[in-house]
Amino acid sequence: MNPPIFIIIMLTVISGTMIVVTTSHWLLVWIGFEMNLLAIIPILMKKYNPRAMEAATKYFLTQAAASMILMMWIIINLLHSGQWTVLKDLNPMASIMMTTALAMKLGLAPFHFWVPEVTQGISMSSGLILLTWQKIAPLSILYQISSTINPNLILTMSILSVMIGGWGGLNQTQLRKIMAYSSIAHMGWMTAIMMYSPTMMILNLTIYIIMTLTTFMLFMHNSTTTTASLSQTWNKTPLITSLILVLMMSLGGLPPLSGFIPKWMIIQELTKNELIMMPTLLAMTALLNLYFYMRLTYTTALTMFPSNNSMKMKWRFECTKKMTFLPPLVVMSTMLLPLAPMLSILD
Amino acid sequence: MMTYIVFILSTVFVVSFVSFSSKPSPIYGGFGFLVAGGIGCGIVLNFGGSFLGLMVFLIYLGGMLVVFGYTTAMATEPYPEAWTSNKAVLAMFITGVLAELLTACYILKEDEVEVVFKFNGAGDWVIYDTGDSGFFSEEAMGIAALYSYGTWLVVVTGWSLLIGVLVIMEVTRGN
Repeated sequence: MNPPIFIIIMLTVISGTMIVVTTSHWLLVWIGFEMNLLAIIPILMKKYNPRAMEAATKYFLTQAAASMILMMWIIINLLHSGQWTVLKDLNPMASIMMTTALAMKLGLAPFHFWVPEVTQGISMSSGLILLTWQKIAPLSILYQISSTINPNLILTMSILSVMIGGWGGLNQTQLRKIMAYSSIAHMGWMTAIMMYSPTMMILNLTIYIIMTLTTFMLFMHNSTTTTASLSQTWNKTPLITSLILVLMMSLGGLPPLSGFIPKWMIIQELTKNELIMMPTLLAMTALLNLYFYMRLTYTTALTMFPSNNSMKMKWRFECTKKMTFLPPLVVMSTMLLPLAPMLSILD
Repeated sequence: MMTYIVFILSTVFVVSFVSFSSKPSPIYGGFGFLVAGGIGCGIVLNFGGSFLGLMVFLIYLGGMLVVFGYTTAMATEPYPEAWTSNKAVLAMFITGVLAELLTACYILKEDEVEVVFKFNGAGDWVIYDTGDSGFFSEEAMGIAALYSYGTWLVVVTGWSLLIGVLVIMEVTRGN
């Protein structure tokens, strides 16, 4: 894409999200969502193949429908409360429907069907923006209305999301679909804690974004999109092999790594609120997620995956891709656990 | 009839939306869109928004719809589908019109209807009491506020419209 146009469009994506996050007027929330959606369509369609166009169309249709539902219930909330401020008490029906609309935007179950299809159809860097930046705006609105969300609705959606993220990702070999199901499961964890401690949701979002950024950057460095291609990393860039090992374990939520912090905090907050079965269920279905991350780790770093002999002797070229900020991101995605006591400042 | 004009206009509004949502070719859909725009203007006029109704006609129909019409004319197909030429389109149209007629009858027959919010038969569509607006037209005050206190909103909407055009050009560039 033409560089000045690309800069303008990226600026609009960023400002759309910033408008949603910082505004206190419901109309501006809707405007921010639409600005974000409109500007991200050319980014999703960076490659002009039919797959990318289909993915961009699917994304546009689902997000536009969600924005319309949100707008309708914004207006009905205006009818009942007479004002446009975001932080005031929402009409209960409006709260339910707005949560549904925002769940459609996030890709929570049962509105998750677009996530793997759209993520698979677009390039790796567009998928990165889709799965990280695009989650910030809806979650910020859910944060603001979190005190009035119907618990039955949000907890059902979150449990379903974690389950579907786990079971759906099991049969995948394409890395983008794996990351899409990973995103669905993480969104489930985030919305589970939303009602009880929205701060933990922000913590989970931050750590999720850091880990997903790192994962996508490592995949982009290697130019791999499938498990089979990722398994040849030991030959291309051996350093990335070990990084993928550690990063996948962090994504799965294993203890000495950063990915454990959000899961630990969420389970702690849920049990403090006297829910026992739910965190048990969430933790057990997160094991499904861990299984497919471990499968990636195994094929990449722990075995020599079956391949031709000619693929075992590759030329080693210097990587020309600009991987900004990758080493700090890797450190942040794996080594933040010793800083967890700092969370006591939240009390 | 004049007391029920908003209700009648709203019903015809929905029917014209159905006429292009049943997806005939864009040329015929554009006609339904035109009618919907005109009726929408009528609804806005009935609530006292004379300036905004005129804006709907001038900018929306006269500007954006004309552009839509020209782009449709460039992408025209040899055998455009009207509402009766394809059974699927006709079925969708009839379904939509039936749903709207049933809803309208339900609203008119019952005295008090609660779907999302209570409204008393067609009464709530007839007298829309938003309180005493004094000597000033609320609509004119709103437009004045948009250009004085609401500068940020003008910037945001202007930027969104510009981005809309740029995005469409990027998407249809296709190389």
